[in-house]
Amino acid sequence: MKNSLIISLCAVVFGLLAGAVLMLATGHNAVTGYSYLFQGGLKNPERIGNTFATASPLIFSGLAVAFAFRTGLFNIGVAGQLLVGGFCASVVGLNLDLPKVVLLPIMLIAGALGGALWSVIPGLLKARFNVHEVVSSIMMNWVGFWTVYYGVQSYIKNPSSETESKQLPEAATLKAHWMTDLFHGSYINLGLLVAVVVVIVVAFIINKTTFGYELKAVGHNRDASEYAGIAVNRSIVFSMAISGAIAGLGGVALYAGNASNIQIGILPSQGFDGIAVSLLGANNPLGVLLSAIFFGLLYSGRGFMNAMTDIPPEIADSIIAIIIYFSATSIMIERLIRWLIRRRANAKLNASQDGKVKSSHVEHD
Amino acid sequence: MRKSAVLLAILTLVFSVLAACGKSNNNSSVSSPTASSPAATQSASPAASSPAATQSASPAASANTNFQVGMVTDSGTIDDKSFNQGTWEGLQKATQDLGLKDKYLKPAGTTEADYLQEMGNLYDAGYKFIVTPGFKFETAIYAAQDKYTDAKFVLIDGSPHKANDTTAVVKPNTVSIFFAEHESGFVAGLATALQLKEGEVGFIGGMEIPPVQKYNWGFQQGLKYANDNLGTKVTIKKENVIYQGTFSDVAAGQQIAAQMYDRGVKVIFAAAGGVGVGAIKEAKTRGESGKDVWIVGVDVDQYADGMKKDGKSIILTSAMKKIDQAAYDMVKLETEGKFPGGQTLMFDSKNDGVGLPKDNPNLSPETISKVDEVFKKLQSGEIKVAAEQGNLIK
Amino acid sequence: MEYVVEMLNIRKEFTGIVANDDITLRLKRGEIHALLGENGAGKSTLMSILFGMYQADRGTIKVGGKEVRISNPNVANQLGIGMVHQHFKLVENFTVTENIVLGSEPRKWGIVLDVKQAGKKIEELSKRYGLNVDPYAKIEEISVGMQQRVEILKMLYRKAEVLILDEPTGVLTPQEIQELGKIMKNLIAEGKSIILITHKLKEIKEFADRCTVIRRGKTIGTVDVAPTSETAMAEMMVGRQVSFKVQKTESDPGKVVLKVDSLTVRSGRKSLALSNFSLEVRAGEIVGIAGVEGNGQSDLVEAVTGLRKVESGKIYLYGEEITGIPVRDRIESGIGHIPEDRQRRGLVLDYSLGENMVLEVYHKEPFSRRGILQKQAIRKYADHIIESFDVRSGGSAASTVRSLSGGNQQKAIIGREIERNPVLLVAVQPTRGLDVGSIEYIHKRLIEHRDKGNAVLLVSLELDEIMNVSDRIAVVSNGELVGVVRAADTNANEIGLMMAGVRREAGA
Repeated sequence: MKNSLIISLCAVVFGLLAGAVLMLATGHNAVTGYSYLFQGGLKNPERIGNTFATASPLIFSGLAVAFAFRTGLFNIGVAGQLLVGGFCASVVGLNLDLPKVVLLPIMLIAGALGGALWSVIPGLLKARFNVHEVVSSIMMNWVGFWTVYYGVQSYIKNPSSETESKQLPEAATLKAHWMTDLFHGSYINLGLLVAVVVVIVVAFIINKTTFGYELKAVGHNRDASEYAGIAVNRSIVFSMAISGAIAGLGGVALYAGNASNIQIGILPSQGFDGIAVSLLGANNPLGVLLSAIFFGLLYSGRGFMNAMTDIPPEIADSIIAIIIYFSATSIMIERLIRWLIRRRANAKLNASQDGKVKSSHVEHD
Repeated sequence: MRKSAVLLAILTLVFSVLAACGKSNNNSSVSSPTASSPAATQSASPAASSPAATQSASPAASANTNFQVGMVTDSGTIDDKSFNQGTWEGLQKATQDLGLKDKYLKPAGTTEADYLQEMGNLYDAGYKFIVTPGFKFETAIYAAQDKYTDAKFVLIDGSPHKANDTTAVVKPNTVSIFFAEHESGFVAGLATALQLKEGEVGFIGGMEIPPVQKYNWGFQQGLKYANDNLGTKVTIKKENVIYQGTFSDVAAGQQIAAQMYDRGVKVIFAAAGGVGVGAIKEAKTRGESGKDVWIVGVDVDQYADGMKKDGKSIILTSAMKKIDQAAYDMVKLETEGKFPGGQTLMFDSKNDGVGLPKDNPNLSPETISKVDEVFKKLQSGEIKVAAEQGNLIK
Repeated sequence: MEYVVEMLNIRKEFTGIVANDDITLRLKRGEIHALLGENGAGKSTLMSILFGMYQADRGTIKVGGKEVRISNPNVANQLGIGMVHQHFKLVENFTVTENIVLGSEPRKWGIVLDVKQAGKKIEELSKRYGLNVDPYAKIEEISVGMQQRVEILKMLYRKAEVLILDEPTGVLTPQEIQELGKIMKNLIAEGKSIILITHKLKEIKEFADRCTVIRRGKTIGTVDVAPTSETAMAEMMVGRQVSFKVQKTESDPGKVVLKVDSLTVRSGRKSLALSNFSLEVRAGEIVGIAGVEGNGQSDLVEAVTGLRKVESGKIYLYGEEITGIPVRDRIESGIGHIPEDRQRRGLVLDYSLGENMVLEVYHKEPFSRRGILQKQAIRKYADHIIESFDVRSGGSAASTVRSLSGGNQQKAIIGREIERNPVLLVAVQPTRGLDVGSIEYIHKRLIEHRDKGNAVLLVSLELDEIMNVSDRIAVVSNGELVGVVRAADTNANEIGLMMAGVRREAGA
């Protein structure tokens, strides 16, 4: 736990350093670049709010990937689950005329169910027929993409735009006046609070419950879990379903929080960013929360850096990509750290040895 | 198990980045904008308010040469051979000619919030002349024109409006620009029919949205005009008019084009972004092996994209809308203090805002001269092209 | 006397643990030198230092009388030191030759791989040392014993003078062990020197010239093997007197606990792994299953414990049928299982020792309440097992199982299973890879468990173990029961014949 925190921090530092090299190599001042990058995400309450808002869907998608990962599953279908979850919530939000306090929970449930439906299919295929979940969940991304495409156009199309769903009414969005005001007009919304709650719940499930114990056991060693009488296939299905439900909630945060409608023809990039968030967060719920906020900061500060300097957006994208690579290759960083520690320990030992050898000579004399 | 999953994760990331790189390595340039006379734009359609009254920020009619031009890109990359690229090239030319600073930003996503965030970034950095290409910016501009009243906005291919409400609200600091895609499609259809004389043609669209639909309808009317008046026998069948549904699925474009060619289609009009790129790819492959197949390009002159190894292109011609010129004009007008704020402008045949490329190596001189002839009738209003489906296919 | 390798006063410390403390080992040219020690005594660490995988904190290494610094395995190779690891490092779908040349491929014209020439050379080497390896066979097609020879050939191909063999007999059949002995003799006859890492005294006695014994990271001494008895070496290794004979009283069988009735099980390849197999195990007795590996033992075990579907036949526990019920229900009804492969089946290596100790009972009180794990109760339970089964871990219940030595992992599993006090304990190879001290201890616990009135089904490939521990012995061959004999009235010869499928003439 502590170890992985150090590794993740190193990944971030190395990533930023590599980004600095890239900026210098392309003839830009790295210090100004980074100062604008962080200013862009933190300069004033509105920008801070936007950073959190950008992070919210990433918390969900990162958590979804991390949760599946703990059970040894690679849920690469988070994008589709976000989309379907968001769609289900939107359908509910557009069709039920209820007060906000009642409607929002129903939408969240609808979103979670939609996401779970989309992930449980790869889960079942894996459990029953040993179909690799990477293949089936990628396919489900496209099934979701076109299902939502059709669904939006047929049932909740925006009268003023061919490619969007109807705007959600005020009662059906996660936007809250007090939050918007608190952050001076930012588009921050209740999605962030839901995300934090889900992080806590997931951390509790993984670390404290027998259910989490089973899931992790299956993730670490399927044969031993089978030996111990754990229903391995059931764990796989549950794990995928929960992972998808988390992603579905992320869809609500994305489409009914940050945005207030669904655009068709777009697979949300947050789904794939979730993999990076999860890797950088070492598949740990709290780690995911922090790494999502970090990514949120990069994404929301990037534009300001571009605007204030001559660094083109592509370089900013590359810097983010580099950080992702460093976090993805945390094993490499782990080795590097071990090597450094060992080298220093050896040096110390040699030094003390030399000292002893000298003193023993004195004794002999 | 865990290790392999990490490996897979890395691979996925690598591929996603590679894919992004692959998308952005076409660098051939778009034909340079025809020198435009600012006056031409004045033939534009109904103006909501008089231009003079709209100069709220800068003193009216006085030259304003001290501003910075910003652009926010749509979902694609800056070199998308379409909207983003066209707009950016127009802006770059304008800022070079006029000695201004320019900058484009690429939003993280495609939601209104993403767009607004980048506009805010541009605004905060002093880029107060902001150009946005594409209908996706409609609601974002609607919000931005009120939020940043001392900035100017140009919305290409859309008009600002509230969500769930089609009523356009063009504030005095905003210009909304449309193109007569149906007229552009019409001349392309005309040229196709004249060059092909007889045979099957097809249409591949991206998403089924008005600009793409108008290309399609105009194209069919152009074919019909040639068949009725100029003695050609070119047909288009129902199964050969397809909207793929995205602007990005290259593989699908290639597949659809292959099916059409297999069904005996000679020329495909591809108004479909990345899907069109796939269609061009398929045509090139067939062209290399000596097959007689063609593509009609869209938005910009795509001649160079269809270049085969022998130096000839499979792009018959392109149905252009001169986005670059529109972008150029708006900047120019602003420097002259004539920013048409509050107006909705229409770029059509009358102001040379749409049409075929200047050079058409694949069209015969007879075709070109006939097309020019008809184009003049279009400009004079003698021929009218409908922007509605009527009894046309899809 | 000429020493090829000398390791003098080697010390190696890992955070908190001294793995090697002032160890000295001298290898003469042309000898087989055994390195004997319990699991976790520091044998592997010492050899890893010689092979360049670790650096010693202190001490010197001399090769051919000259002091050297072995910073990595490549340096070791250049110095003529080669190592055959316990787990082979071969590419399954490559040929023998391809595997051997991997990393030092002979080239023709600079780029083309010259397999032919390499193949010839390997054939020569193989003949010279009597290895009898086909250079063009694929690894996946040859036996484990052959694969080991490929590893040896790899060393010879790289002109190794000193060969380190790490537990080479663990994976071999008795015949293969004899052949390996011959090969080692050939090697030393050609002037090579061998370090044989093992804890099997019988093999040391049979093959080695000298033996260095280490215990808890310290050298105990180096002895000439010929005049030293097995008992003496065992005492050096363990540090106390060891008895090889298992002390036990006559069994007093009670009710039938496990009844297997005409069981037929298919293996993965659709062939019958077990056919029409019937067996009874009573309370208060240990029934051993003897047989050459792969004759249906694992299939029987998996069928009884619920990990494998049965084709036909029935299994009863105390008269109740359990044939089709899930694993967890079998655990609940009183089956304990010490699995054959402890790392694959028995443990979640990345879980802590504590978490592993409740692998089958975590869902029950007091280890969890209403679905919430009770860490304190788990810890207490684990500490109890750790203490009563002498599981030595770096820290405590909190250390990950991965960091434990193989012997301690096994003790942990056995402790876990016996602590649950199952009415039927299925123990598969419970002492595989363990040292004399641990074996003695585990045998004692198995007999204790029997004496409490429980049934024990013992599966082992070590005939000695079966003969010493079991009350009755069931011999399997080719998935069929050859016969059941009383351990007291049989001998190794008879069992050996039965293992080969020869049925007993007269009834027991």
